Amino acid sequence: MRIAIEAVGVLAPGLPDWDSTQAVLAGRQRFASAPLAACAPASLPPAERRRSSPTVRLAIAAAEQALQRTAIPPQDMALVFSSPEAAGVITHQLCEVLAGSREVSPTQFHNSVHNAPSGYYSIAMSAKLGATSVCRGPWSFAAGLLGAAVQALCDDVPVLYVCYDSPLPAPLSDVMPVLEATVIALVIAPRPAAATLAAWRLAVAPAEGDVAWPGWMPGAWRANASARGFGALATLSGGAGASAALPLSTELNVQVARC
Amino acid sequence: MQPLAVLSYTTTSAAGLGKAATARALREERSGLAPNDLPWAPLECWIGRVVAAESVALPEALGAFDCRNNRLALLALEQDGFLEAVAAARARLGAGRIAVFLGTSTSGILSTELAYQGRDPATGSLPAAFRYDTVHNLDATTEFVRRVLGLAGPAMTISTACSSSAKVFCLAERFIRQGLADAAVVGGVDSLCHTTLYGFSALQLVAPDICRPFDTARRGLTIGEAAGFALLERGAGALQLMGYGETSDAHHMSAPHPEGDGARRAMLEALERARLAARQIDYINLHGTATPANDRAEGRAVHGIFGTGTPCSSTKGVTGHTLGAAGITEAAIALLSLEHDFQPGSPTTREVDPETQCAFTPHGQARKLGRVMSNSFGFGGNNCALVFGKGA
Repeated sequence: MRIAIEAVGVLAPGLPDWDSTQAVLAGRQRFASAPLAACAPASLPPAERRRSSPTVRLAIAAAEQALQRTAIPPQDMALVFSSPEAAGVITHQLCEVLAGSREVSPTQFHNSVHNAPSGYYSIAMSAKLGATSVCRGPWSFAAGLLGAAVQALCDDVPVLYVCYDSPLPAPLSDVMPVLEATVIALVIAPRPAAATLAAWRLAVAPAEGDVAWPGWMPGAWRANASARGFGALATLSGGAGASAALPLSTELNVQVARC
Repeated sequence: MQPLAVLSYTTTSAAGLGKAATARALREERSGLAPNDLPWAPLECWIGRVVAAESVALPEALGAFDCRNNRLALLALEQDGFLEAVAAARARLGAGRIAVFLGTSTSGILSTELAYQGRDPATGSLPAAFRYDTVHNLDATTEFVRRVLGLAGPAMTISTACSSSAKVFCLAERFIRQGLADAAVVGGVDSLCHTTLYGFSALQLVAPDICRPFDTARRGLTIGEAAGFALLERGAGALQLMGYGETSDAHHMSAPHPEGDGARRAMLEALERARLAARQIDYINLHGTATPANDRAEGRAVHGIFGTGTPCSSTKGVTGHTLGAAGITEAAIALLSLEHDFQPGSPTTREVDPETQCAFTPHGQARKLGRVMSNSFGFGGNNCALVFGKGA
């Protein structure tokens, strides 16, 4: 399968955007962690911004970055969002309430669905094409990328792909240790055009041993499924033929090769 | 699109374990719903509970996956020769060529809710035995099912609230078309939990009595649990997936577009993919949750495309609203209706809301059916319509 990468958005502590990420991936700059500013996506109407969860704001803020780097209107894109645990802090709050008074707030409940980020995004952007929200545990980046790629190619449509991890509070963090936020947003097109950053050839292949994490990456991010995407982004800084393996299951990888 | 063969399918809900029991309940217009008797969630409402799932024992090697959702998944897998059908496909195609795509809205969150009730009062920590990744993570049931079936192809979970296990059909078609798999097990599993019972109650969307889709006096939904699966393969078959449509309302997180705009576009897209005109659809299994707003919006959308020419009904009064499993439950009912040439009714509907414009048909009837549509809509304005039909 061959897809075109049109634009990238990145949010992580120390990586506030794609330019700073590219500098780190290309070895031009050392990675230095820095607290991530609170996300206030401009596209979310004030009422929605207030009602939404931190995960929603995080995912949409990274998506906005990618949108600013492409001429493709957001209304023309299908959506594939992926996360190993999209509700995060909301799950914690709900379970706390349910273990006590059980007086759940309606907003809290609708924010608890895995597709809340893509739902809020579709409202913010008037994006009316299909929206798919994927989970594949630690393999969520590769799974979502495949889902986005097959949709782009089968439907001949650009796809906004966003994969994200949002920090979890204790005690959930004891069993799912996501401590820092990482988000990668990609605008994917079915074929290259003048403004395309690079084309990727994707293939599913048997996994041979564990895939190494990038040396520059903080160890804490290894709990983040979305951080697997940095391996794929590194191919955008390399030349033709640059490649990366993204784990898809215990047996399979997605091989990404720049072409 | 080229149709995909449905080689095997199965459904388990409060209406019955497996296809025969479900078909009987539909034909006899018998609801599987009952007044809520859950000792752990004393809410005044009805529920669709699958009691038989509660005592299912998981294989020892997969003990870490034990939770209400995975017990229900295993019970459903054991019906209708589904395990054997997958084993035969695996032998023929290879384990790595069969994908697994399941939908769920809450997976095994009940286990986490119970773990929160058992937190250490001093430290706040969860019980040491609690596992998140194999019981609560939304992918836990997909990984469990993949291991039970011995499959090694690509797998993932779709969680788009109440359209989850309809959208897995779309994903499977695309994976097969792109050559990433030759066949796919699709389906969905959702089980009763505090989150959805108390959450939908907070939104005032749960009926105090049994749900009555499209009834003048409808007061909301009845939550049920269910699991179902289908085995899809490239090529034609006696039963086929013929088309699908996926859209977003881009309107509101938990309320439908008042005119059902997203629903209308999903149905039109499904017809276009199936290369069918509206008049070629013989029956529509509506999402029909029985909330005043949902039924009104869907009824308008259906009338806009089909007028009064296509009989439609909601089977939520038989199974309950099974949320993340609603897509597969109603896909299975659509397939059953084709196999049995029986158009299901809506047995809990007493008086069809006179505002309804679409051809809502509360009583089931034997009727030759060639092509049927199934609608599933979820929070976030997430819509999916599927078209199934008989092969040549």
